[in-house]
Amino acid sequence: MSMAVELKRVFRSVGPEFSLGPLTLAVPRGAIYALIGPNGAGKTTTLNLLMGAGSPESGEVELLGLPSASREADIKRRVGFVSPALDYSAWQTVGRAIDFVRSFYPDWVPSRTERLQALFDIQRTQRIAELSFGQRTKLALILALSRECDLLILDEPTVGLDPVSKRALFVELLQFMGDESHSIVISSHQLADVERVADHVAVLNRGKILITSRIDQLLDRYRLLELATPHSPRPGLEGVTVLEGHEGRARILLDLRANTPASLLQQGWDIISNTALTLEELFLTLIQVDEARRPWRPR
Amino acid sequence: MPENVSTLQFPPLSTGGAAPLYQQIVEAIRREVASGRMPALSPMPSFRALAAQLAVSLITVKRAYEELERDGLILRHQGLGTFVAPGGGHRSRAERRNAAIAALRSAVRAGREAGLEDRELVEILQRELVESQPPTAQKTGGQR
Repeated sequence: MSMAVELKRVFRSVGPEFSLGPLTLAVPRGAIYALIGPNGAGKTTTLNLLMGAGSPESGEVELLGLPSASREADIKRRVGFVSPALDYSAWQTVGRAIDFVRSFYPDWVPSRTERLQALFDIQRTQRIAELSFGQRTKLALILALSRECDLLILDEPTVGLDPVSKRALFVELLQFMGDESHSIVISSHQLADVERVADHVAVLNRGKILITSRIDQLLDRYRLLELATPHSPRPGLEGVTVLEGHEGRARILLDLRANTPASLLQQGWDIISNTALTLEELFLTLIQVDEARRPWRPR
Repeated sequence: MPENVSTLQFPPLSTGGAAPLYQQIVEAIRREVASGRMPALSPMPSFRALAAQLAVSLITVKRAYEELERDGLILRHQGLGTFVAPGGGHRSRAERRNAAIAALRSAVRAGREAGLEDRELVEILQRELVESQPPTAQKTGGQR
């Protein structure tokens, strides 16, 4: 079966300060795939490209095996999109927005709309202009989850949600994943949530992909080590990134694919601690390392 | 969702804990099997159903099931689903016993390294046994 999403060498420049890509990534069917990165990394630009908002200057975008440039209508029928930029206020009330969107989709499931409205506590009579940010997100989620999609694209769907609604959302998303042909692409700054529910992750910084991996394999791959060293760590040692080092002490990120704690011991270093990282800690470290590699430039 | 989902008892799972998420699930299922609450051949929830129940990723549950299968605690049967293996409970108890022995062994080593005498180690162990009441059914999986 085709990939849920495939980007091949996609490039797009957005103003003189920022360009996205070239991006190459593949979202397998049956997976929750998270895009994470600092503000301005290009997550929203990437998701908008998937939804056909702006076309790439070069490269190919495929959703559900269909080229996005020529099959937009077919793709949109099978893809649900949630973004803080979606504005339903022209329909004035929740009920009218639901009825309007519903009229486009023959596969709408009314019982699902009712269940989600109850779950998120959103009433048909509520005026959209008076909804809070979190309530607007909930409305967008209700509209996306009420029909039969194969792919959900969610841009920051947890912003403004309280912890209870957030957990309810993730349970909904995992139930959606009960069908093994379904897939989700999600961007989020809530890295503890991403670590918990997503299968794969792509880390973006300044329009480029730093790494793509299965999340469990990514977390297994890196360790944070505190070392006591008789001499300062030799730069350029395979798999070792020195994060801090002075006075016979060093804190390093160790890539277990390239090196082992045992070989550090052989170098005459004492390992004071050797700990796993959370996705959030690893993310901060990878961004810090990437930023240090670059010549200074304003964000 | 299969009916047996709710019979599995899980402590709260958290990221950033001492063990990765899949390991926390493995431990919780081991405990259920060792206690006899999940007898041999009882069906396990599908991993998609369990992922939704626990609000964790599919890969996390898949990996937990792979580990349990490798250790012989559960069996996967193409088309029929996943079951607790015959002898799984016994195997799980034996493993937990071995883990306890290994922990005591390393405690003894740490004690010797700290310069404690055997007599003192025995006293400490006896005091611990008295102070920590035997584990009861209400214990929900903390290590202390």
